[in-house]
Amino acid sequence: MLLPHPMNTLKMILSGFCLLFSLMLSAQKTDPSTSLPYSNKIEVSNQALESLFQSSDLISIELAPGFQLDGKIQNKSNHGKSVISLLIRVDSRPGGMLNISRYKDTKGNIYYSGRLMKLHEPEGMMLVEKDQHYYFIETQQRFLVAE
Amino acid sequence: MKKNSIHIIALLMLLIHVNVFAQTPILNSYTPASATVYLDFDGAEVDGTIWNEQGKIVAAPSGLSPASVTWIHKMIAEHFKLFNLNITTDPAVYERAPVHQRTRIIFTPNGSWYGPASGVSAIGSFVWGDDTPAWVFMDPLSNNASFIAAAATHQIGHTLGLQHQSVYDSYGSMITELSGGESNIFSNQAPLMGIPFYKQADWKNGHPSTGVQNVQSDTASIAGAPNYIGYRKNAEETISPHNSVKIERQDPSYLSLISSGDYSFRLFDISGRLLTQGMLKPGFNEIRTSFASSGVLVLQWSGEFGSATQKIIH
Repeated sequence: MLLPHPMNTLKMILSGFCLLFSLMLSAQKTDPSTSLPYSNKIEVSNQALESLFQSSDLISIELAPGFQLDGKIQNKSNHGKSVISLLIRVDSRPGGMLNISRYKDTKGNIYYSGRLMKLHEPEGMMLVEKDQHYYFIETQQRFLVAE
Repeated sequence: MKKNSIHIIALLMLLIHVNVFAQTPILNSYTPASATVYLDFDGAEVDGTIWNEQGKIVAAPSGLSPASVTWIHKMIAEHFKLFNLNITTDPAVYERAPVHQRTRIIFTPNGSWYGPASGVSAIGSFVWGDDTPAWVFMDPLSNNASFIAAAATHQIGHTLGLQHQSVYDSYGSMITELSGGESNIFSNQAPLMGIPFYKQADWKNGHPSTGVQNVQSDTASIAGAPNYIGYRKNAEETISPHNSVKIERQDPSYLSLISSGDYSFRLFDISGRLLTQGMLKPGFNEIRTSFASSGVLVLQWSGEFGSATQKIIH
């Protein structure tokens, strides 16, 4: 029987570790604005976010290429004079809800915050802002909602 | 006529009795602060939040007596006495608070709409501005006032952006997401953001559930961005003797402490080797730690008003 050379076995093990390590790195990145590990990041435009607040009932918007949002506004509420919040039932994620708020500061600047999730699911999405760009990051839901 | 009068008097007495026993006492821990945590014991209707997947939630009142509410408020307020934050039971105070610096904790017997848990909250919701509340479900806590106060403090920590304090092994793999603290010669404490029920619980510096590469200083996170609460100006006057040295901030080179009085201190490494010692003055103090190799350090302090030992992850 031909035995493999011990060096070859060692190389194979090391290659396996390298591959595993690189896969782990590519799967888990950390968002600098939240320090949260995330698996996916999608940039969305301010216009797309604003259009959610101009909708009255049913919503069908492509928030980003390949990121279609179909749903129905379940609740719209004001908080103080500066915050409007929407709760949208999302058809493309059965049972999922998008909770998004729009905040206007005293200088007229507009900010958005939100999350797209279904309770008890392992993953959820969070809207984050970095350098005046908005992104939905996909992360473990235990970093968004905790007991 | 006489019979009717007796009935009316009896009804009035019953109403007074019900009112006395049902009314939640109005309590505030620190009225100069505008940032507010509202403890809601009176039942609530919640709609339009991430909790409302199945529509409006009608939460039953806590049913706690005024004495229990007062005690729970006191226990929670004690944990936040460092911060420029008002813990209130007054809904009007909550309504007046800035929308981006307030949260409501709803105490209700059970959370059947959510599932078996002693509470749940959305991390960082204190600054969202959309009045997303956090929850304490009391039945799983056996209606024990100590457990309810600890659970509420834990949930408030989440709303202020804190993740769980976790335990990792030497390879960086998570052993448990919720640290139960340690019982040894140095410490019998548990993190409030771990399992805070069975030991003396306090805020900690440690590795959060987001990864061993991160360090979460609970107090610095609460006081700093994005909450921007800060500390009370008279913090040193309100600290109780057994908690009178608080770590405010740590980085690889320095440990920043707030002391309520004159204390001697000694800093050890985990093997018990004395690294440095000296005196802490009332107010702000810094201890240089750049000479210490990374790992676990132990800070001992003692003085006229008390002494304690605290572990620090360096």
